[in-house]
Amino acid sequence: MYKWLDERLDLTGLYQKVLRKAFPVHHSFFLGEITLFAFIVLVLTGIFLTLNYEPSIREVKLPDGRAVPAAYGSVLYIDSLPFGAVIRSLHHWSAHVMIAAAFLHMLRILLSGAYKKPRELNYLVGLGLLGLAVVTAFTGYALPYDNYAVTATRIGYGIANSIPWIGGALAQVMFGGEFPGSEKSIPRLFSLHVLWLPLLLMGLIGLHLVIMIKQKHTQPRYAERIAPGKILGVPMYPQQMVMMLILFALYVGIMAMIAGAFLAHPIEAFGPPTPNTPAVKPDWYFLWIYGILQLIPSSWEFRLFGATIGPEFIGGAVVPGILAVVGLLLPFVDTRKDKMRYMELPSEHPVRTSAVLALLVFFLMASLAGYKIDFQQQGYLLGNTAVLWTLVLGAPLLTFFLTYVLMRIFYGEKEKKALE
Amino acid sequence: MYRNDPILPTFALILAAGLFYAAYLDGLHIARLLGHAPEDLSVGQIGLMAFGAVLLLYGLIGLVSYWLEGVELRPGRHFPTPSTAPVAAGVILVLLLTALSGFFVRLLAYSAQTGHNPTWLQGLVFGSISLVVAALFGIYKKFFGRDEVITEEEKGEFPW
Repeated sequence: MYKWLDERLDLTGLYQKVLRKAFPVHHSFFLGEITLFAFIVLVLTGIFLTLNYEPSIREVKLPDGRAVPAAYGSVLYIDSLPFGAVIRSLHHWSAHVMIAAAFLHMLRILLSGAYKKPRELNYLVGLGLLGLAVVTAFTGYALPYDNYAVTATRIGYGIANSIPWIGGALAQVMFGGEFPGSEKSIPRLFSLHVLWLPLLLMGLIGLHLVIMIKQKHTQPRYAERIAPGKILGVPMYPQQMVMMLILFALYVGIMAMIAGAFLAHPIEAFGPPTPNTPAVKPDWYFLWIYGILQLIPSSWEFRLFGATIGPEFIGGAVVPGILAVVGLLLPFVDTRKDKMRYMELPSEHPVRTSAVLALLVFFLMASLAGYKIDFQQQGYLLGNTAVLWTLVLGAPLLTFFLTYVLMRIFYGEKEKKALE
Repeated sequence: MYRNDPILPTFALILAAGLFYAAYLDGLHIARLLGHAPEDLSVGQIGLMAFGAVLLLYGLIGLVSYWLEGVELRPGRHFPTPSTAPVAAGVILVLLLTALSGFFVRLLAYSAQTGHNPTWLQGLVFGSISLVVAALFGIYKKFFGRDEVITEEEKGEFPW
């Protein structure tokens, strides 16, 4: 059989050219693979969900006599199927894990300097993938159409709508009209979530992998000693393939257990949308933006070229926009002349390592600010806006200086000894 | 970043345990401020558990990679030494896999007949099936697979 196929398709040529590619070995490369496997599980579980989900807010009657939106009713139906609730929960958890893994993967790239020549373009594609993953997850959030999801999605609608000049058009494209309220919103979000955004994600993931194969991985530093100037690794097939299968099986095993034990979004408990707005927070990956929105005073508003620049736009779009621009410019600012072959050690780059840790602390403190109203209600000191501003701005600065000084003390001495 | 060491994966496992514990504490204290019932997960808990799950997976596969592939690669071929113990372990795992698969099908049939969905048990059994498959692949690679470490020129003709 193999001979028959080989004579016609040159399988041996394919094996030699593609499947014997050297794949460098380092545990940090698995963060990218976890992101990829989360996406694969999202697609597989998503297929099951689309077969049973109804993207409409028309009223339907449940067997117990309650009148609810069809989208909400169809998710209750999915939950009632054998193993249906676990599949939906696995889909939900995989979305969170994909974003978390992509974020940690990006941190690894930042800490090891892997965005430098010749990988600047692939770094930008990766940044785009992280952003797109967040947007795709957001468009799926409202689909169960329960009271909690609708209220949380309304925050995102408000931010999109607040963008000067283009906000109205953007909200129209994403939500198909006012959200909640418009009958077109759920079909629009559904088509974006299950078709257009996943297609774009697949295209970008393909591009990311193809460029990675062409440019090769940044290798662990020891490879320079063993095979200088060459790629040292294991063949893609069968060795790397077996490692990927092990990771995929581990992923499905652990995530199925978590998904079964902790149903992430129990819509029966939240109920269908009502005029009463529940106390909600946006998903954790938007919590830092929500926190900044809590800190910016409502008086920060002015008119510019006929548009209103308000606190919602400043906190929800300008601050994340500044961070995105810094991220986009990074590979063109922190450069090197020669081709980067081996991962840089974080200890050898104290400024960059300190800045990455400071960024992490900024995200944590801004997320904490998202609980401002809750802290205020309990009379905690953390409910004070000035305290939160100090934490959001001061803690990252302190982290930067502390990390830098400690790294200079410990690794600077090491370098001096090595030079001697 | 220097070699495929077990230090970072071990540290990731400890951090994952810390994050899961933080999610538990969040449910006890911070999430309660929002009026969350203990059985509902708050956004903070979900975020902590998502990072905990990624670090748990990363730590586990990092240690598996250290066990199966070593700290540093050396070019050449490495042949496995045949022995009885891995074969016996494989047979036991295959029997366990068969039993778990049968139980999972029985569980689905029970849910379909009664309308009762014990999600934690369904997730546990399905997850266990997958973990047994992972263990079988691990045993195959460690004790039966022929390993090869290769070097390659930087400039390749694939994909262009």
